[in-house]
Amino acid sequence: MKLLSILMAKIALIFGKILNRGSSLPGKVALKIDKKILSKLQYVCPIIAVTGSSGKGSTSNLIAEVLRDNNKTVCHNNSGSNLAWGITTSLIKNSTIFGKIKTDYIVLEIDERYAKTVFQDLKPDYLIITNITKDQPPRQYNVEIIYNEILMSIPSNTKIITNMDEPFLRKFALDLPNENIYYSITQNKYSYKSQIFENLNIYFCPKCHTFLEYDYYNFETLGKYNCPNCDFKYIEPSTTAYNLNLEDCSLVLNDKKVNIGGDMLYYAYNTLAAITTLQELKIEFSAIINSVNKLNISKSLNFKAYKKEFIPLSSKAENASTYNQSIFKVISDNRPKDIIIGWKEISRRYKHFDISWLYDIEFELLNNSTIGTFYACGIDKNNIKQRLILAGIKESQIITADSLLDIKEHIINSESEVIYGILNFDYIDPFTETFKEEESCK
Amino acid sequence: MQVKIANLYPYELNLYGENGNIKALKYALEQKEVDVEIININPNDKINFNDLDFIYLGSGTKENLELVKSRLIPYRKELLRYISENRVLLVTGNALSILDFLKLYEIEETEKRVVSDVIATTSLCPDNIYGFQNTEYLIKSTNKILFNINEGYGNDGTLMEGYIENNFYVTSIIGPLLARNPKLTNYFVDILTSNA
Repeated sequence: MKLLSILMAKIALIFGKILNRGSSLPGKVALKIDKKILSKLQYVCPIIAVTGSSGKGSTSNLIAEVLRDNNKTVCHNNSGSNLAWGITTSLIKNSTIFGKIKTDYIVLEIDERYAKTVFQDLKPDYLIITNITKDQPPRQYNVEIIYNEILMSIPSNTKIITNMDEPFLRKFALDLPNENIYYSITQNKYSYKSQIFENLNIYFCPKCHTFLEYDYYNFETLGKYNCPNCDFKYIEPSTTAYNLNLEDCSLVLNDKKVNIGGDMLYYAYNTLAAITTLQELKIEFSAIINSVNKLNISKSLNFKAYKKEFIPLSSKAENASTYNQSIFKVISDNRPKDIIIGWKEISRRYKHFDISWLYDIEFELLNNSTIGTFYACGIDKNNIKQRLILAGIKESQIITADSLLDIKEHIINSESEVIYGILNFDYIDPFTETFKEEESCK
Repeated sequence: MQVKIANLYPYELNLYGENGNIKALKYALEQKEVDVEIININPNDKINFNDLDFIYLGSGTKENLELVKSRLIPYRKELLRYISENRVLLVTGNALSILDFLKLYEIEETEKRVVSDVIATTSLCPDNIYGFQNTEYLIKSTNKILFNINEGYGNDGTLMEGYIENNFYVTSIIGPLLARNPKLTNYFVDILTSNA
C-alpha cells in the first residue's frame, strides 16, 4: 500500500505540474490509498512544525527561507495547504519512491485543528506555537478546546517553542514535561501600564487562578506578568529582543539590528519565533540575522493619493486580536484621521452569520478626538455601525456604504489627510484599487 | 433614576463578545436618560443582591462555567428570592448550565456542539429575534419557554427555546442577543424603568 500510495501521489504531482496546477490532490490520493502513509515515510532530518491561531504561515515561511538561504534543502508546505492533504503532498513531493524524505529539513505549517491528526503519524522535533487566540468561533468554539487539542497531540520528545510574553502559552509547560524554549520582547516605547482590552483569553494565573499583575503590557495579554499569590511569573529567556521600532520595522537582538518585515507587533513576534527555532537548529546566529535582514523586507501597503495618506491595515475576520492590533496601530497615530471599516465576507469556510466577534474587538479605543468620520462599509455595514455606536461613537460621525466605491467621492473631497482602513484581508485589494490614483499605480 | 447592572465574572465569562449585551442595555437606558451603574463582580467579591436591578451571566469555557457555578451555589437562596421578587436576571449562551442547580429547569449536554444561526420570535417584543448558537448545553425542559425557533435548535428537539420565570430569562442564544435585537433590549429597558 505504501509504495502504491506514494506512486499514485507522484503521478498526480506530475499531472499537476503538466497542467500547471499546485493543489493538495496528490496528498488526498496518497491518504485515500494508505491513510497511515505519513507514519510510513522515512524522516531522517529534523522536523519543525508551526501551529497557532495566526502567524504560522509567516513564521514557517521565514524558517524555510532562511534555511534555503543558508544552502539547506527544505520540504515546506506552502501557505494555505496546512491541512493533512497539503502536508502529505509536500512530503511525498520531497520523498523518494520508497518514502525517504530527501531534504535537509522539514518545515510544516499545520492548522491548529489538524495537529491532533498529523502528530499521530509524524513526530516533530520542534513545535512552534505562535499564539492561541479567539478565532473562527463557529469552527473553533473556544481557546480552551484548541489548547487541549494541541496539548493532547504533542509527542513526548517534541521541544515546544513559544512566546514567554503570553501567559496563556505557559500552560503547556505546566501541563507537559516536554522541553520548552521561549522568546520575548522587552518593554518598549509602545508598551503600556494598564490593561486596555476586554474579553481576552487569560486574566488569571494558570497555576492558582489569582488575577495576574503586569509590570507592562506589549499588547492584549502579552507583557511582563507575575502572580501575586504563587511563583508563576515571566522569566526572561535568552532570546529576548529589545528596542522594538515599528517606524523602521526593526528590533535589536544580541546587539544586532533585525528587520521584522512590517510595522505591526506580530511581525516582530513571528520573526523572533523563527530566529529562536533557527538557533536551536544550530544555524550560526550572524548567518540567521543576515538572511532574516535580507528576506524580511518591509512591504508597506500604504500609499499617497488625492493629497492624502492611505493606510490599509489587514486583519482577519472572526479573529478579534488581529482587529485589536489594527486599532492599536490607529490610536498610536496622533494625526487627525478618518477610518474605513469593512470586509467582503466574514468567512470563506461556512455560511454562518456570527458577528459575536465584533463585540470582542475593542472599538471603544477608537472613541478618540483625533478621528473625524467612520465609514462602515460592505455587507455588514449596519452591524459595524451598531458596534461603533455601542462603543460610544456618535451616530453623526458614522457613514454607511455598500461598497468602497460609494464613499470614494466623499473621501476624496474630505478634509482629512490620513485615511486608515481597518479591513479584513479580502478588502485590502479593493481598498487599494479604489483609492490609488492611476499615476500612483504605475 | 439609576439602574444597577451586575456583570458576573466578566474576566471568566467572556466568550463571544457577550458583554455586548451590557453595552446595548446601558446605551438604551442612557437614551432614556437613565443613570446606569455597571458593577463587575469578580471572584472574591460578595454579591449584594438587594442592591442590583439587573444581573447578567454570559458564556464561558467549561472550566470557568464550573468555577462560577461553585461560587454561585452558596447564593442559591438569594438567587431564588431575587427571581421571586421579579427582579431581572439574564443568562445567555452556555452559561445556562451554571444555574441548573436552582432546579428551575433541566439542561442537557449535546453529543455534538450546536452551531447555528437563529431566527426566532417571542411574545416579549415584536419582529424576529436574530442570533447565533454555539454551545454544548441546551435546556431540556419544555415548559415556560422564551423563544419560538424558526431556525436553530430548541429545547429537547422541539422548536421551543429557553426558559422564563418572572424576570428570569435563560437562552442558549448569543449574538450578542441584546446588541442584535434592539426591540428586545427596549423590553428590558421598559421593565427596568417601570420597576424603579
